[in-house]
Amino acid sequence: MSKYNNFFGDYGGRYVPEVLRLPLAELEAAYVEAIEDPAFMAEFKTFQTDFIGRPTPLLHAVNAGKALGGADIYIKLEGLANTGAHKINNAAGQALLAKRMGKTRVIAETGAGQHGVATASACARLGLECVIYMGTEDIRRQRPNVYWMELFGAEVRPVASGSATLKDAVNEAFRDWTSSYKNTHYLLGSALGPSPFPDMVREFQSVIGNEVKQQADFKIDAMVACVGGGSNAIGFFSPFIDLSGPRLIGAEAGGRGPGPGNNAVRMDASAKTGIVQGYKSRFLLDDDGQVLPTHSISAGLDYPGIGPQLAELGRTGRVEFVSVTDGEALAALKFFAATEGIIFAMESAHAGAAAMSIAKELGPGKKIIINMSGRGDKDIFISAAAFDGKNWKTFLLEESGRIND
Amino acid sequence: MTELNTKAGTKLITHFIAGYPDIESSYETAVGLINGGAYALEMQIPFSDPSADGPVIELACRRALEKGFKVSDGFRLIERIKEYRDIPVYLMSYSGIVYNMGIDRFTAKAAAAGVCGLIIPDLIPGADEGLYAAGRKAGIQIVPVVVPGVPDSRLEEIMAENPDWVYLALRAGITGSYTILDEVNLGFLDKVKTYGVKIMAGFGIKTPQQIKTLIPHCDAAIAGSFIVDRITSSYNDAAGRISVTEAAADAVRYLLG
Repeated sequence: MSKYNNFFGDYGGRYVPEVLRLPLAELEAAYVEAIEDPAFMAEFKTFQTDFIGRPTPLLHAVNAGKALGGADIYIKLEGLANTGAHKINNAAGQALLAKRMGKTRVIAETGAGQHGVATASACARLGLECVIYMGTEDIRRQRPNVYWMELFGAEVRPVASGSATLKDAVNEAFRDWTSSYKNTHYLLGSALGPSPFPDMVREFQSVIGNEVKQQADFKIDAMVACVGGGSNAIGFFSPFIDLSGPRLIGAEAGGRGPGPGNNAVRMDASAKTGIVQGYKSRFLLDDDGQVLPTHSISAGLDYPGIGPQLAELGRTGRVEFVSVTDGEALAALKFFAATEGIIFAMESAHAGAAAMSIAKELGPGKKIIINMSGRGDKDIFISAAAFDGKNWKTFLLEESGRIND
Repeated sequence: MTELNTKAGTKLITHFIAGYPDIESSYETAVGLINGGAYALEMQIPFSDPSADGPVIELACRRALEKGFKVSDGFRLIERIKEYRDIPVYLMSYSGIVYNMGIDRFTAKAAAAGVCGLIIPDLIPGADEGLYAAGRKAGIQIVPVVVPGVPDSRLEEIMAENPDWVYLALRAGITGSYTILDEVNLGFLDKVKTYGVKIMAGFGIKTPQQIKTLIPHCDAAIAGSFIVDRITSSYNDAAGRISVTEAAADAVRYLLG
């Protein structure tokens, strides 16, 4: 696969106002040059080793496999990357690129807050000014991450427009960039948006799949990742895409179940091809092409579009897609905590849940790898409320009383 | 028609949002803009994710959609406006809306409704999904948006589409905030003018003084967020002191000085 494709079949491209044409062309040129420059890649590698803590482990989840009685389960522990998720891989790559381009300011959108935390952290380390756009609905769901971003010196700007979630934060970041691009890099967090973002984000995330390729001293039968925009999935799948195996499976947010506004499933008949936020892909749209509201228990999967390369790989059948409901994700979270002592991020728990049924379907002797894209510390307000609502509420009330004192 | 709506040689193109504050009020807005002396109308079809627009227009589009606005309502609105007065109507929207209907079908429908030109800022020459060809086929202008800082080589590419009009955004950024007119953007206007195209210039036009400064350098000035703001104030005024139609007409008269 080429490192710069622009289009993936019919999907992808660069559908932006004239004002953004130049900054994106500059970014494309800088990316294409840097990704082939050994000096840049060495700098990136050092950042990965010293700061991110790479390589992240590939864990044989023996107990989980036994409990399910199906295929052997392995977990790529991306959640052990510094700042708690795979997002730092891309944030580090792009922040280093921004510096190389002479930019002094970075803006980013965030949904779950993990990309915001990763970007703020990389910017703190590299001495870049940082502004994070975050929907007010996501701020409510993922408040702890706001504190970490601010601790890193970033300014978190609440976005109340639209549905006040990830897609609106993306719009707001684009609005900022149209007048700030001379000194500012837009550090987009997923493998979507106008080119070169889908290619660039995949390359910076491909470290996940490349490590798996080295770490797995066995034949892999299936690989499973959750898919919001799809940056962890495309990075995890990347070195395997051009091969005929293993099976590559993406888990989308099934939310409360079928029906508009209840989920974020883009890879079944409820979605269609559209152009939104600068790229062509599959989106959840109404009959006029207006973007529909979405729902997921996980802020990171609560987005109406899917990265263009994954949309194309879904069309060709190279990547299979399944959907996982809020309830199934919560059950998977509980299962892996109890069997393996690991807390999945709510997003990654969707991959965990999908893997649980695929493991049974594949049966003993087969091997499956889950990408745990993030760890679940950030979700404590959601998971504690779901698992132990009464006691958690009592605790919060007592705790807030103590702060008042 | 042109003479009727050209006060002292000043052509003002007034932007409004279809379905905002509601469908009937947006029709009344258009009537008011015409009565006030607008040279042409630029009607925006609301899109859920208008990423080139500032807060005033973004909120207005969201309100229109919350009230159930459909794209078909927009085409009917244009037909009604054209019945009221045969004034040039430009239709502005985003690629998401146009692509969803099909570029050819959208363009043909717009032409049939009486639209004279389409302004789709995120379908640019080279990445237009066939919009310019569709426009030629339907006999409707496609108005490219250019902005100061666009390099000469790119201007050449855009002009190769042979547009009648060019929409010149007077600064980078989003709609709404005030634009200072200086030698940079005025100089750019003069440069684009050398291509022999007609220029409509806007982004942050809020005062008659700005329009006086602009007019010698272009063929028409565009006002958008300023008018939407006036409509919002009138519509939200519980005392109902001034109708939406009057508010729109007053806004145009104020800008024309």
